[in-house]
Amino acid sequence: MQSTEPHPRATRPAPAQGTSRRRRLRHALTAAIVAVPLVLGAAACSDDDEGTTVEFFWWGGDARATMTQQALDLYQSKHPDVKINATWQTFDGYYDKLATISGGGNAPDIFQIDDNGLAEYAARNVTLDLTPYVESKKLDLSNHYEGLTTYGQIDGKQVAVATGENTPALIYDKTKLAELGVDEPTEGWTYDEYITWAASVTEKSGGEYFGSMDPSSDYKALWLWLRSQGKEFYNGTQLAFTQEDLTAWFTLWQQAREKGATPPADVVHEAVTGSVDTQLVVTGKGATSFMWSNQLGELGKATESELGMVPYPGDLKGQWARASTYWAGSRATEHPEVVADIINFLTNDPEAGAILGTDRGLPPNKTTRAALESAQTDPYAKATFVFENGMADQFGPAPAPPPKGHSGLRNTLRDIAESVTYGTATPADAAAQFFTEATAALSG
Amino acid sequence: MAVSTAPPTRPAGRPRPGAPARTRPADARRRAEGRAGYVFLTPWLLGLMAITAVPMLLSLYLSFTDFDVLSDWDQINWVGFANYERMFTQDPVFWKSVGVTLTFALIAVPLKLAAALGVAMLLNRERRGTGLFRALFYLPSLLGGSVALALVWRAIFSRDGSFNAFLDVFGITGQPWVNDPDWALETLMVLAIWQFGAPMVIFLAGLKQVPAELYEAAEVDGAGPVRRFWHITLPMLSPVIFFNLVLETINGFQGFTSAYVVSDGTGGPVGSTMLYTLHLYTQGFTEFKMGYASALAWVFLLAIGAITALFFSTGRFWVHYADGDGK
Repeated sequence: MQSTEPHPRATRPAPAQGTSRRRRLRHALTAAIVAVPLVLGAAACSDDDEGTTVEFFWWGGDARATMTQQALDLYQSKHPDVKINATWQTFDGYYDKLATISGGGNAPDIFQIDDNGLAEYAARNVTLDLTPYVESKKLDLSNHYEGLTTYGQIDGKQVAVATGENTPALIYDKTKLAELGVDEPTEGWTYDEYITWAASVTEKSGGEYFGSMDPSSDYKALWLWLRSQGKEFYNGTQLAFTQEDLTAWFTLWQQAREKGATPPADVVHEAVTGSVDTQLVVTGKGATSFMWSNQLGELGKATESELGMVPYPGDLKGQWARASTYWAGSRATEHPEVVADIINFLTNDPEAGAILGTDRGLPPNKTTRAALESAQTDPYAKATFVFENGMADQFGPAPAPPPKGHSGLRNTLRDIAESVTYGTATPADAAAQFFTEATAALSG
Repeated sequence: MAVSTAPPTRPAGRPRPGAPARTRPADARRRAEGRAGYVFLTPWLLGLMAITAVPMLLSLYLSFTDFDVLSDWDQINWVGFANYERMFTQDPVFWKSVGVTLTFALIAVPLKLAAALGVAMLLNRERRGTGLFRALFYLPSLLGGSVALALVWRAIFSRDGSFNAFLDVFGITGQPWVNDPDWALETLMVLAIWQFGAPMVIFLAGLKQVPAELYEAAEVDGAGPVRRFWHITLPMLSPVIFFNLVLETINGFQGFTSAYVVSDGTGGPVGSTMLYTLHLYTQGFTEFKMGYASALAWVFLLAIGAITALFFSTGRFWVHYADGDGK
C-alpha cells in the first residue's frame, strides 16, 4: 500500500528512436483487436434470415425434456423448413429468466407459462394474441375442453392455450393410513371433518408424523376454500374476499395446529418453500400434502409408500378445470403463423399427444384425452384420469386467471400466513396486515 | 478511479538517462505514449461504459418511473419521487429488510474480522504445518458466495440436519435453525464469518510487515503480550484493519446468495432473512416493479457510500500509517 520505491517507469531507459515503427504496428494491432470483435458482432446481428428459427422455452425435468424434444422433433421432421431451438430448465428460476429475457425484448417465440404468470405477461403485452389464428382454425380449439380454452383468455383475447388440465388434489399416504388402520380421506368432507380426522391420525401414529399439511399460506388452498363457500379470490384486479374471511381461514388452521392435526411451523415452512422432495408425504413427516393432481406420479416416484388422491375438503364446486400450464407466443415473434401452427400441433396432433402423455396434466383435446385414457397402464396415471373425470360434472365455473400483481400477492400471503404459524401474529392482526400489503402488491 | 491509476507525471527538472538534452521529441513521445495508453485503456473503458456506467445511469432514470420489465419502453411513465416516497412510507418490508441487513452487517462483519485477525496471529508464527493451516483456513472463502455452499448449509442446519445430530450426541435438542425465525439470520451470519479467509490473508501480510524490533524493544521494556498487542500490533496494523473493515462492510451489506438459497428466495421464515438485496431482487424480478427496485438500489448505494465515507472520515483518528503522513 505504502510504496516507497520510485515509479518503475522513472528508471527505465528510454527506448531508441528505431522503435517508433514497431510502436505504430502495436497501435494498429491494438486497434484491430478492439475493432474486429465489434465488426464481427455487428455482422452477426444482421444475417439470420435463412429458414425459420423458433425459440422455444419451457420448464420441467428430465422425463419431460425427453418427451417434449421428441414431440418437437416430430414437428420438425414434418416441417423441414422450421428449426425449433428448445431450451428448458427446472421451475426454480424459470420465471426470473423468462422475465429477464422478455424484459430485454427477446422473449422466446413460444414459452410455457402457468396461471400465476399469465396475466402478468398478457397485461403487459408480452404475449401474442392468438385469437385470429383460433378464428381461422389455424389453431384449432374446437375439440378442446371449453373450460380450459376460456381459462387461457384475458380481456377477451386468447393469449395462451392450455397444455393440459390439472386440479388441486389432496395427496395422501395410503401405506401409512393402512398401517394405522385409519379410514382414507374421502371426497366431500368438510374442513372440520378433515381436521378432526387429521388430529386422530397424529394421535394414532404416536406423534411420529402428523395427519395433515398446513396449507394456510397456500393461495390455491385459500382460493378453493373461498370458492367452496360460493366466494372468490379475485374480482378483476381486486380481492374478492374480506378481512373476516381471511381471519377465519387463519383461525381454522391455527386451531388445527392446536389440535395436533398439523406439524410445527418450521416443518410446514420447509415443505412450502421446497420442491417435490420436501413435501410431507415424501419426507414422511405427514400423511397428506396439498398438491396438484398431475403431481401424483412424480410424488409417487419420490416415496416408497403408496399414494392416493382426493379433492381438497369442502364443496366440489370450489374446483374448476384449470390449465396446468399453457403454451403462449411472444408478440414480438417474426413468425406468428409458425408459432400458432406449433401450438396447434402440440395440443391437437394425436401422435404428439401420445408422446407428451399426461406429463403436463390431462390433454386439452377430447380425442387425445380419450385415446390416452384407454391406453394407460400406469396406475398413478390411471388414477389421475379417474380423479379428473369423476369431478368433471361437479366443477364450478372457471374464474378468470389471477390478475397482474398476483406473484407479489402470493408472496405476501405466504409471509403473513407464516407469521401466524410461527406465532408472531394473531389471525386477526395478520389478516389486517395482509389487506394493507395486498393493496400495494396489486397496485402494480 | 481512472484518475487515481494514471501514472504520476515526471518531475520536470530531472534529466532522464539516455535522452538528456532533446526535450521536444521526448514531449512528442510522451504524448504518443499517452495516446497508446488510452488505446490500451479502450477495452476496459468500453466495458466500464457499457456494463457499469450506462446501466447505472439508466437505473437512476428508471427509479423515477414505473418501469415493469416487460412493457415496451414507450409505456414507461415518469412518476417523480413516488418510488422513493413509497419506500419510506408504504413498504413495511423495506424497513424490515433494513433492520435485517443492519443486524447482519453489524454482527457478522466485526466477528468475521476478529476471527480473521485472531487466526492470522496464530498462523503468523513459522512452525511446521503453518502453510497447510493457512490453506485450510483460506479454503472456505474460495467457495465464496457459492450456491452449493448455501445448499449444504441449509442441509446441515435444518431440523434433521447433521448439526442437530451432532448436538444430539451431547443430549442437546437442537433447533430447526434455518427454519426458525429466531435463528435463521444467525445461521447465515455463521456462514459469513466462517469465510474469513480473505481478510485473514491480508492480515497475515500486514503482520509480516510489523518490524520485529518493535516487539523486541517492548519486551525489553517489560511489555506483556496484551500490551504488545494493543500498543504495537493494532496501531501498526491499523491501515490493514481499515482496508479490511471497509471491504468487508461493503461485502456484508451486499450479502445475497446465502439468504436467497437458504430461504428459497422467500427471505423467510417470517421475513427473518429478508436482506435488503433480496427485497430489491424480489421487487424487481418476481413482482416486476423494476422502477421501484431501481429506487431501492440507489438508496442502497447512497447508504453504503455514506457508511464508507464515515469510515474514511473517522479513519484519521485511528489509522496510523508507518511513514507518519497519515496522522
